[in-house]
Amino acid sequence: MNIEFFDANVFIGEPAKGCFKPAVTAAELLEEVGASEIRRALAWHIAQHDCSPQEGNRLLSEAVSGVDALYGCWTILPPQTGEVIVDGFFERMKENHIFALRAFPDYHRFLLNRVTFGRFLAEVSERRIPLILSLEMGIGWDAVYNVLQEFPNLTCILCDIGVWNADRYFWPLLDSYSNLYVETSMLSMDAGALEAAVLHYGSERLLFGSGFPLRYPDAAVLQLLHADISDDDKRRIAYQNLDNLISGVRL
Amino acid sequence: MRHQSELREKFFANGRADDCPVHDLHGHMGTFYGAHFPIADASAMIRAMDRAGVKLLVFCSHAALLAPDVGNLGSIESVRRFPDKLRAYCAVNPNYPDVVKRDVETFDSYADVYVGFKFLADYHGRPMTDSGYQPAWELANSRRLLVLIHTWGGSSYDGAEQVRTAAEKYPNANILVGHSIHGDWDSAIGLANEFPNVYLDLCAVVDERGILERFVERVGSKKIVFGTDLPWFDLHYYIGAVLGADITDDDRRRIFYKNAEEILCSRL
Repeated sequence: MNIEFFDANVFIGEPAKGCFKPAVTAAELLEEVGASEIRRALAWHIAQHDCSPQEGNRLLSEAVSGVDALYGCWTILPPQTGEVIVDGFFERMKENHIFALRAFPDYHRFLLNRVTFGRFLAEVSERRIPLILSLEMGIGWDAVYNVLQEFPNLTCILCDIGVWNADRYFWPLLDSYSNLYVETSMLSMDAGALEAAVLHYGSERLLFGSGFPLRYPDAAVLQLLHADISDDDKRRIAYQNLDNLISGVRL
Repeated sequence: MRHQSELREKFFANGRADDCPVHDLHGHMGTFYGAHFPIADASAMIRAMDRAGVKLLVFCSHAALLAPDVGNLGSIESVRRFPDKLRAYCAVNPNYPDVVKRDVETFDSYADVYVGFKFLADYHGRPMTDSGYQPAWELANSRRLLVLIHTWGGSSYDGAEQVRTAAEKYPNANILVGHSIHGDWDSAIGLANEFPNVYLDLCAVVDERGILERFVERVGSKKIVFGTDLPWFDLHYYIGAVLGADITDDDRRRIFYKNAEEILCSRL
């Protein structure tokens, strides 16, 4: 079957610790993932994590400017310090083609909870802006459970869920939170895990991701193309669910 | 190169390539304490293999490795149930020397089942150079058997130093370096180049982009074999990673089946 993929998990830029052939520009990114039939992507910049959200957000905005195939993610810090979240934040998101947020609380040394983000995450929830949390970068399962308990209506995307099968961690969350989504770049790595998630929870809350440049896009694409699920499920995971999320964002 | 791959086109179109059977030399079977495995039993694993064109899986059940009360019985039973698809490694737990001695002595009774031995030193808490493994090493060395060793970078049980010691001491055993001394890639490359009997395994390697290209460039594809830890990792995901790497189709055929066929020729 022919599917054009919409990737929920790619980054631009050169990691501080090095990486095999990263994409430095939007054009390089689209060329590289395009070879794996990935036509659009929700992208972030690795400097948001490695250097600072301020620097990385600026670089990301420049990279995706005027590139229709790329949708941007910014990274947040506590509103109190005024480093990232300032007056007019959501308007600037719209101006810069930003449709999702990321947070790396452990790595950036803050707590992702109601005390720190109460009013802000309430508004993010109302605006249906996805908050992307990477289990491989800067947050653990305890903190994920805590933030969802405090903000049950938050649209949250869990990505990079770990090399070892994580069903025991995220299935209870899918049970409890209807706005929780799971990105598949590491789910598809585990034998039968994507199929099992579809069987138990349906395909509506799974979002295709490649994990490029850390992982091979062809790996996740081949796995989904030949997964033991229906073609309708594959299309939802490949692009429809992320399309629906993006179109639901209110900026 | 990957954009003009005939193999890639076949696997993407059909999920398998009939002229490129895949041999997976690093598998397990059954439930495991640290993870939920949706396809953990032999029948489900065989179905997944058929979908991906995996012709042969050589495995060692989790119970054989981690439940001494059970031992290798489950592995033996599964191979005899699916003799065209499965072969097993005889698990060696050095904490039970009497069992090791018995399993080595009866190894030939299972010529239809075993291709060699599996060591899991990190989990058993004894370095793979420990005397508890010696009967298995000696049989493998005398018969040119395959020994799949779990390895991990920095481990004092199965790191680079222990692999070197074993490769020097048992030059006729075919040593498959499981996980390729994960993270200590340069040591793995050096050992594969230095010792003709040392092969690199791709299990827990191809989830990181770029390592396979480094192996092929610096060691060559003749010393690399395909492994997934099934039921841990998805066959299509791992096949896709090999297809997505910047290597040639000749390299991929070496990795997918040619090297395995050469290593296992006398045991199949």
